[in-house]
Amino acid sequence: MRVELENVRHVYAPGTPFEVEALRGVSLTVEPQEVLGIVGGTGSGKSTLVQHLNLLLVPASGRVLVDGVDARTLAKDELRRRVGLVFQFPEAALFAPTVEEDVAFAPRRRGLGEVEVRQRVRETLALLGAGHLAKRSPFALSGGEKRRVAIAGVLAMAPEVLVLDEPTAGLDPAAREDLLGVVRSLRESGTSVVMVSHDLDEVAEVADRVCLLEGGEVRATGSPEEVFYARPAEAPATVRVVSLLRDSFPGLGRPVRLGETLAALKGLLEA
Amino acid sequence: MKNLGDEGTRRGGSPIVSCENLTYSYPGSSREALADVTFELRSGEYVGVVGPNGGGKSTLVRLLNGLLDADSGSVRVGGLDPATEPYLVRLHVGMLFQNPESGLVAPFVEDDVAFGLENLGLRREEMRERVREAIQAVGLEGYERREPHTLSGGEKQRVALAGLLALEPEVLLLDEPTSMLDAAGRREILGRLEELRGTRTVLHVSHHLEELLDADRVLVLNAGRLVADVSPEHLLSDTDLLEENHLVLPSTLRLAAGLGLAPAKLRTPEDLAEAIKIGSEVR
Repeated sequence: MRVELENVRHVYAPGTPFEVEALRGVSLTVEPQEVLGIVGGTGSGKSTLVQHLNLLLVPASGRVLVDGVDARTLAKDELRRRVGLVFQFPEAALFAPTVEEDVAFAPRRRGLGEVEVRQRVRETLALLGAGHLAKRSPFALSGGEKRRVAIAGVLAMAPEVLVLDEPTAGLDPAAREDLLGVVRSLRESGTSVVMVSHDLDEVAEVADRVCLLEGGEVRATGSPEEVFYARPAEAPATVRVVSLLRDSFPGLGRPVRLGETLAALKGLLEA
Repeated sequence: MKNLGDEGTRRGGSPIVSCENLTYSYPGSSREALADVTFELRSGEYVGVVGPNGGGKSTLVRLLNGLLDADSGSVRVGGLDPATEPYLVRLHVGMLFQNPESGLVAPFVEDDVAFGLENLGLRREEMRERVREAIQAVGLEGYERREPHTLSGGEKQRVALAGLLALEPEVLLLDEPTSMLDAAGRREILGRLEELRGTRTVLHVSHHLEELLDADRVLVLNAGRLVADVSPEHLLSDTDLLEENHLVLPSTLRLAAGLGLAPAKLRTPEDLAEAIKIGSEVR
């Protein structure tokens, strides 16, 4: 599935003294089966942007297209199943007495049979490495475990596009690595992932493409190396280090991920 | 437990926070969230707390300001027990939650920042002055009349920090105060905390080791136990300690370590690039 934003504007509190134009004509496409990183400073419009992908927020002007069709003409509940949105700190919405009940809530509400609901819950928890938590109370889990359960609640609806808003905030480095692994495996299984993050280092590790927002406008869209090497001062640590060395060592190339950067730099010291 | 012993310099004056054999389990859980934890914070110290999710970091912070009541052992903050004197303790101890939404209550940013002050019985002019300074300190000038629910995660986090700074507490308990901030915002907030250095006692919980490189000490909590109380330099160079506690070096330090360069001295991409240049010339 392909989701396009076409010249989308969004205004908070329109017509009041507190009016804020959060998006100023944003055009962006989420391609099938890609990991799209949305980056930009605090208040640049990242969360506002992604809430338009399933029309949780409605544009003041501009359009949202799903496989070329105006999203406003689609049934909202079906749209929101196909484009699953995981909010910042989604564990705040956990509510059921057990993890499996919590994850089963949405599929059950959609009227799926009990056998299928059980199967979806099992598969989704397994995918997130949380199968062993099924019978536990979500409130007795650690922060990283709660986060995975909350994401499972959205994934159990089998979305075609999964939107994650700051999914690693508050997670320890090991839990962060696990979550990035989940993002990669979702892409392998055909799901697109849109990941909002203020952490450029983690975006560098998983994104196929990056969209950089500033002041509610798209400042750049492209591959991680295109976007980051054009602005080394606001790039991940890997790109910042290599950019400082490229004048002296033109053969370094444009590595972005940690592994490839380390390999390129090792070459310098061993040459 | 790994301990500083005599190796580190102990900053600060008399103990302002002390915990002895502190133990706590959540209701209905058989596992101890915190087990037998003993340490002290001296007045003016800046101490980091790291460790895996579920290690007991947030539990510790909640015990220190009386949100939770210890099963056994003791906590004293300025000589008071937070469990029996929570209101007195909270006059001296300010806390910032991990999720900034947890602390925002008022319709406008400036009211939110003023909220805690309203309970202190300050003169109106002094309150205004403190609110203005706190908003300035976190870089939110111009946001005074914004509604908190229209702010981004990172902006909310700044509002919550401003509310805390306005109270001028002696002890700051910060539970991942920068989890929603981009690199520039993080540097700004850390810079602000650095300015308070020595005048406040800070306990700073973080998953980002790069935020704690200048801390006086770092406590490592894992599965409820205090497994290390060491200098940041020690922590960065102790690969076993890092690995056992699921700690990962920041990218710049990981690159340095991967290249066989001493990570503790190479904090920024600029430092590392310089070291690589020198290293390649030697060869």
